[in-house]
Amino acid sequence: MSNWCLTSHCRRRRYDRRFGGELAGNDLLMGSKFFVKKFTVHDDPRDRPKLMVDNSMLRNWIDRSLALLLAVVGLACWGCHAPQPEFHLNEIEIIEQQAAVSEEITPEQRDQIATVLYAMFGTPDAPDNPWEREGAHVSLLAEQGFNVDLLRMAAGPVGSDEQGNTTGLYRLHCSHCHGITGDGRGPTAAFLNPYPRDYRQGVFKAKSTELAAKPTHADLKRTLVEGFPGTAMPSFKLLKDIELEALVEYVKYLTVRGETEIELIFLTSDEGEVPTDPAVLVDEILKPRVEAWKIAEEKVVHPVTPQSFASEAEKLASIERGRTLFYADTGGNCASCHGNLALGDGQLNLYDMWNEPIANPELEAAFLAVGALPPRYLKPRNLRQGVYRFGRRPIDIYRRIYVGIAGAQMPAATLKTSDEGPGVSEQDIWDIVNYVQSLPYEPLSLPPELERAGLRERL
Amino acid sequence: MGKFWSLLFFLVPILGTGLFLIAANDRAAPLVNHWFPKDVSQYGYVIDNLFMLILWLTGIVFIATEVCLAYFMWRYDRTSNHDPVKYTHGSHSLEVVWTIIPAATLLFIAIYQMNAWADTKINRPLNPGEEIEVNARQFEWRLRYRGPDGRFNTADDLYTVNDLHVPENEDILIRLKSEDVLHSFFLPNLRVKQDAVPGMMIPVWFKPTEIGAYDLVCAELCGWGHYKMRGRIIIQSRSDYDAWLANLEKEQNVYTEQ
Repeated sequence: MSNWCLTSHCRRRRYDRRFGGELAGNDLLMGSKFFVKKFTVHDDPRDRPKLMVDNSMLRNWIDRSLALLLAVVGLACWGCHAPQPEFHLNEIEIIEQQAAVSEEITPEQRDQIATVLYAMFGTPDAPDNPWEREGAHVSLLAEQGFNVDLLRMAAGPVGSDEQGNTTGLYRLHCSHCHGITGDGRGPTAAFLNPYPRDYRQGVFKAKSTELAAKPTHADLKRTLVEGFPGTAMPSFKLLKDIELEALVEYVKYLTVRGETEIELIFLTSDEGEVPTDPAVLVDEILKPRVEAWKIAEEKVVHPVTPQSFASEAEKLASIERGRTLFYADTGGNCASCHGNLALGDGQLNLYDMWNEPIANPELEAAFLAVGALPPRYLKPRNLRQGVYRFGRRPIDIYRRIYVGIAGAQMPAATLKTSDEGPGVSEQDIWDIVNYVQSLPYEPLSLPPELERAGLRERL
Repeated sequence: MGKFWSLLFFLVPILGTGLFLIAANDRAAPLVNHWFPKDVSQYGYVIDNLFMLILWLTGIVFIATEVCLAYFMWRYDRTSNHDPVKYTHGSHSLEVVWTIIPAATLLFIAIYQMNAWADTKINRPLNPGEEIEVNARQFEWRLRYRGPDGRFNTADDLYTVNDLHVPENEDILIRLKSEDVLHSFFLPNLRVKQDAVPGMMIPVWFKPTEIGAYDLVCAELCGWGHYKMRGRIIIQSRSDYDAWLANLEKEQNVYTEQ
């Protein structure tokens, strides 16, 4: 037995005082309980009591440490070989379609849908699946106009290529919120309000184009560069241009893939079988969806050139007109949602198009069971905060009023057809823009004569 | 094991000191850019000098302690040392000495650094050349400039993100805020690091002296996307800076893209 002396002079003094120089054999007041098994009091009066350590305890401890180490190493290795990221089927769409047609989509059909999607779009690691056609391999996505090199740069695990460019950009920057499939359900999504965008519906809010059109390439890029203040979407301004291009391309790819998937699910439940004819898949399903992105540039909304104010008084007059339109029922009628004080508290019980289907009393439980996030009401913007998600330039606000916000409850402006007709003119929209831009700097309390009935009741 | 442990422990001061010596030679392999980044601020040298003073003090104590430790382990190794164990009730004078020396050292450091603390945390510049609001949020730096009227919270404020431009050789006053959690506004090249606390406006100031682009990073783990919170500070001449501001103003007032 080896004698490990764990004593030190100060400890000894303390114990000497307490026990008058003698230690009871079973007193375990010193040292760790793992090491100290028993005390022995030596016969030699010069020799003070020593702590004796049983070697088996030490071995036991070493065994435990080794087991722990093995567990850590094992976990680390398992981490390296974690399951491959995969595209998931759009379960919510499947449940919805099944409920609509009241016909089950069979497991075989689900496999078929996944196989068709794999054949067309590949995997999250290889976002391109060459098709064999007349003996040669052709890339379907490249044929449709996708830049497959950029897609490869954005897809896959994080790393870098021979030129030193970062690859796996989507997983590095985006997937923890937007999800591998682009379903807006990454691991951090549930904590965010608003939820991250689900690309698969193909609808984007921030754009310079008409309500039903896709955003332009520049719109998506601007989203990445500027982020969305007021949401969890941060700015990626300092990424290299090629990295931004790759991410934009990949978002388009995920969108087209998601829309194709929804169409496949729809056709399957509608017609009872999964379309597998390449001509149908490419010409009728894929092509129009890719085309929508290509023609976005033509759908950009350009306002009539606004007035340039000759004087500050003119601008104030425009703001005043905007104020009237903002609150008037026959004008912009903005206050019905944005509230009597423009605090965004007018209409608080509406959903956007991503939450609305989930908030279906009959199916909600089924949706939540397949991973849908609990639906949340859409809050109209508080216009007094001066936070503009889709840009603070006058032209951005103009487009939001003129076009509305796709997927949300903000409608397009009703344009006047004649001078007398209902709705607003383009000039009226500019007046509202000017008023909205002045709102953060307008004192909440107005002179009583300008106050409308019920204005203060909310406060 | 014999004297293995004493040698192993002796490796700590050797490797530790060696690492510092290699890293301090900043331009040579293998540890390039592991020492301080280039100082481009007027007051940065004060921080650097303080750091070096404390590094020398702690370095000497570290080496002395480690050498003692290794020596005792070597000298009193169980397998080779058969002297009978000796117990002592301590040395009062020795304890007094090793209490007073560190206490005096700490007191010296506390007094010696007072001006550095005051200059970086208390005596804010009264007439800063530029005043900028930095709003930290998960996971970006939202920046606000005063605009042509020279005042915050007016309609002509200018906004940008992650790209902090400042004029050279002027006192810059940052109004540091946070929208959500704790962040830390860190400009390594300007020797500035300050936590951003939600609900507080914390003034931070510095005087950049060299034109160029440098890092602006978050130095406080602030969430899953902490690594994304990387910005850039661009130090420009006054005229370039004014041109940049004018362009920012133009970009923010776009009425038509035709």
